[in-house]
Amino acid sequence: MSATRLRSLQALGIFCGFAAGAWLGGAEAPIKLVNPELSPITISLVMVFGVFLARWSVPALIRGTSHVRLDVRQAPHLIVWAVLAGCMWAVANTLTIYAIRNVGLSIAFPLWNTNSLLGIFWGFLLFNELHHAGWKRWLGVLGGAVCMFGGATLLAIASADQAAPGKAALGIFAALGAGILWGTMYIPYRKAYLTGMNPLSFITFFTVGELATMSVLAVAYRGATPLWHELVGARTLLFWLMLGGFVWVLGDLFQQYATKYVGISRGIPLSNTNQLWGLLWGILVFHELRGASQSVYAQVAGGSLLMALGALAIALSSATEREHSSWQDAAQREGQRYGVEGEYVRAGMEGRAYEAGSTSRTAVDWLLIAGASGVLAALGVMARLPRIDIAWGWAVALTVAMIALLASCGIALWRTTGFR
Amino acid sequence: MSPSTTNSPRHLFRAIATDIHFWIPLSVLVGGLLLLDKLR
Repeated sequence: MSATRLRSLQALGIFCGFAAGAWLGGAEAPIKLVNPELSPITISLVMVFGVFLARWSVPALIRGTSHVRLDVRQAPHLIVWAVLAGCMWAVANTLTIYAIRNVGLSIAFPLWNTNSLLGIFWGFLLFNELHHAGWKRWLGVLGGAVCMFGGATLLAIASADQAAPGKAALGIFAALGAGILWGTMYIPYRKAYLTGMNPLSFITFFTVGELATMSVLAVAYRGATPLWHELVGARTLLFWLMLGGFVWVLGDLFQQYATKYVGISRGIPLSNTNQLWGLLWGILVFHELRGASQSVYAQVAGGSLLMALGALAIALSSATEREHSSWQDAAQREGQRYGVEGEYVRAGMEGRAYEAGSTSRTAVDWLLIAGASGVLAALGVMARLPRIDIAWGWAVALTVAMIALLASCGIALWRTTGFR
Repeated sequence: MSPSTTNSPRHLFRAIATDIHFWIPLSVLVGGLLLLDKLR
């Protein structure tokens, strides 16, 4: 790969990391419209169903499902990795609910945000990331991640809901467990992208594991009949939860491209800037810190600044040619183990076409798109906006900013890699 | 080995089962499920 191509892919991956942060954080907005009395497990299940719809329809819209079939033919073992990652996501997400309930957001959020430090560890240990990177890049990535962790702690303390903590030890274990699950979940991610799989194909199978695990957990914990009654009773709110899931998928898609092009050691911390965006929505649109003391605002300003500086340090520490050649060694190892064609692996790493496939949509693609749109439209007709004080001006401004990021990053992805 | 041979289910099963990268996330997943069960 030429040095120019490497630089443009690194810049693209970093851009995707920032776009991921905006959309993952924005996904919290529709969920804030939902009645807090609804069971957390049910909230998670409906969100995951929205995620499922988006993860089957968005890839069909962007490139068509024929590319998914091509990826599976080349690297069928990656279905196992994707489903495994989906199962991990669902368990981690459920653990965070228990963590927040037991120790509050202020303690839980920074604890599970340690996933980026674990991601750096796995990236270094298993996939040759940061090998031959030099001390400046080590300092940039590790220092940036620690800086972001400090910023996340300040922000979480400032935005805590001050719930009385109970069963503290269990809550801390739950938060740490979620961080370990999410940090380790990036092993399958990296494995898939080193072998050349397209992120659009990976997420299609990821969501099968996610929905299956979440359905089993919801039925086991709530019981099938109470769960159904709760869903029927909350039908006017289902749209907002599914919309949250849909928005989350767009963020996750950018996160997947970031992981592919800059690795997990840089991709995860960058997408963890979602906490900043979540806070912007909370403060500006939902008036969450109204009437708070000056010290709280100081914590928010300090935490945001620390997170931004950490993200900047990581963004400026992109991989050198020497480090990238170590990634190629790891990719070659994967290709040999699973019998994946060398050219397919190289094409995937370089973000170019492996073989000329049909780019037109099939009837199945249109059926998937129409089905997902139909479900969302039907729930949208039933939806009611709860009586919440919303600053619509800020909501529009943040939505425009997110759409601008989506469009610019989407165009950059299309021009540089054709969404590969 | 050609891809058609190496992509056979038997080969894939062996490749995955002997890959430490598979057992790390799987162990973490099992640990997460056990923790979740304790928290219920």
